[in-house]
Amino acid sequence: MARDLAIDLGTANTLVYMKGKGIVLNEPSVIALNRQTGEVLATGREAWQMIGRTPGYIVAVRPLRGGAITDFEITERMIRLLLQRVGVSRFSRPKVVICVPSAITEVERRAVTDAARRAGAADAQLIEQPMAAAIGADLPIDEPVGNMVIDIGGGTTESAVISLGGIVALEAVRVGSFDIDAAIQSYVRREHGIAIGERTAEEVKMAIGSAAPTEDEAQAEVRGRDLMTGLPRTVILTPEEVRFAIDDPVSSIISSVARCLAKSPPELAQDFLNRGMFLVGGGGMLRGLKQRIEKETNVPVRMSNMPLEAVVLGAGHCIEHYDALKGMFMGARR
Amino acid sequence: MIVLVIGIVVVVAVVAALVVLRRIPRHDTGVTRFQRHIDALSPEARRAVIDRGTQHPDGRREQRDN
Repeated sequence: MARDLAIDLGTANTLVYMKGKGIVLNEPSVIALNRQTGEVLATGREAWQMIGRTPGYIVAVRPLRGGAITDFEITERMIRLLLQRVGVSRFSRPKVVICVPSAITEVERRAVTDAARRAGAADAQLIEQPMAAAIGADLPIDEPVGNMVIDIGGGTTESAVISLGGIVALEAVRVGSFDIDAAIQSYVRREHGIAIGERTAEEVKMAIGSAAPTEDEAQAEVRGRDLMTGLPRTVILTPEEVRFAIDDPVSSIISSVARCLAKSPPELAQDFLNRGMFLVGGGGMLRGLKQRIEKETNVPVRMSNMPLEAVVLGAGHCIEHYDALKGMFMGARR
Repeated sequence: MIVLVIGIVVVVAVVAALVVLRRIPRHDTGVTRFQRHIDALSPEARRAVIDRGTQHPDGRREQRDN
């Protein structure tokens, strides 16, 4: 008998929670395929290491973009392999709760549930990421007080106000930390004339990226391919340059938070001033972002203790209390 | 004879009571369901899952994106 599962199918990482056991898998949402035969060569961390470094016949791809499935068949195969790795077989078909961005369309919703069912799930239910994040971040969402959660993932940013176990206000944009990486790539190409890969851009963001000036700022050496000569070249990037490069996606993220605050009922809005807003998701770990959101919204921001695991833990809680919480699933309310 | 009459009266009373009970709208279903939902979201109910998360050995902050 398979244990039921909760899956945070993120644009960047996939986490799996097993009922009664906890988090059993945390891997990048990447799959490497043989282009000629269509055979799967690697998934997860192993496939992630191949991004941008593969020979012509291998392709390492992220089948999800902006929180949505861009390649249904590849996603299904990735889910199937992930489920196999946590012990799901043809004879053990678990119930699965999957976290998805709240802004996904009906078609995308069906694509996710179909992919999970075909991959071996007996039943697949969906839950909105900000709701799962609020449960997993241990916010007191069972009380009649305003809890605001900001979930900045790889492809989406979702802000939600939650009270008494339900979403009161919601705002989602398809901008996330991959857009920040893409902005760095495009800046380096435009201003320094060198091409860098997405992994290098991510490393730059992690090393010196910030949304607001911080105390410990350093420069970074970036190696790429000169667009004119085609030869390898090194350039120095300053934190100010990176801040300028990523200002567009960062501003979009902050604007969506402000729009969510504006949608909140006044009775709940005053709670945020006392309790603050809670930041979850890997994108929220960008240096200076917390301070910049605080400055632009005048509302305190707190970082969740487990920003990367909050969403899957919230979905895991739903699988542990499936009957009591099934009203929260996306299909149940429509 | 008296026993039979008492028996008929009891049966009629029980049937009448059941009919009356069925006609009264059941307000408690939604209340109970909502209470179960809220109870399942209480910090006490979530403690076990949150504790499992804090024991999870995989990277906390070394992985930046999700």
